[in-house]
Amino acid sequence: MPDWTSLKWLGWISLYVIPVVFLPWAISRAWAHQHGSDLRPRPKLLFQRGELGLLGLVLASSVIWNLLQSQFMPHTIALGSVLMALGGIMAASVWVETYCRESGMKSWHPKRAWRDSRNLALLVFSMAAVMEILLDRFAKVASR
Amino acid sequence: MSAPAVARATVHERIVVVRLADAAEAIAFLSLVFGLLLVLLPVSFPKMIVNSWERGQLMPVMMGLALLLDTCLYVRIAIMRSAKPGLVAAACLGSLPLLVVGGLSLLLQSAVSHTLALDMSNLQLRVGEEILAHTYLGLISAVFLPFLVIRLLQQFKATNS
Repeated sequence: MPDWTSLKWLGWISLYVIPVVFLPWAISRAWAHQHGSDLRPRPKLLFQRGELGLLGLVLASSVIWNLLQSQFMPHTIALGSVLMALGGIMAASVWVETYCRESGMKSWHPKRAWRDSRNLALLVFSMAAVMEILLDRFAKVASR
Repeated sequence: MSAPAVARATVHERIVVVRLADAAEAIAFLSLVFGLLLVLLPVSFPKMIVNSWERGQLMPVMMGLALLLDTCLYVRIAIMRSAKPGLVAAACLGSLPLLVVGGLSLLLQSAVSHTLALDMSNLQLRVGEEILAHTYLGLISAVFLPFLVIRLLQQFKATNS
């Protein structure tokens, strides 16, 4: 029998994804409409400097916080935290590298920055989702 | 030798450059499959993992799976970039997944023995959840960390050359 209550993490993670991805896209469209501009920004253009990597870091930080509050053994908490932190840092470093390249007048590739930040943010998102399911399961066991 | 032939030879000899994002996509997919199995089979999937750990089969299976995934990913990246695999990367991919899974299995043993030392009623269930968490984290580490090491080594080499 599927355990659909574990899916409540989806709502929790959406609280991060909606303001970071959907809101800037919606506001930029509203701005274009208000100013009569032909601009039709897509997420690929809006986050072409690797800004999605920053979302990865924020997600990783909040999962580490939840892990630290859990009753898992310190070994598990340490392993999960290190892995989440590595994912978050690598995701954020895409934006840092792109910023440094752009500021240093070196060649930077918007397509590559978008692809790298998108894939790494997806990795952190999926890891955050599974960690939340595991935390949910453990909380149920601990409360028995 | 003609110019196009020289260009072709140069392309052929280039060693594959790994970007972390190439591996991240596949690891994210693996992670989502694990999460989906936990939601769809909340009892039988964890039970299968705990049973195989008790029989001593979990770690060899994880090592084999991580090695297979790492190799497939690396070959896929090499084909995508039309470049040949490097020796250092192959050595990393051959050894690191085994070292990571081996090291994390010791960590799991320690976590389980600490859990069993607690004075609680639902110890068996807690041990099961610890094993489940370590299995997931071990699998992700064994696939992700070798690519992270390869990426950092490549960057170090590029900076020094």
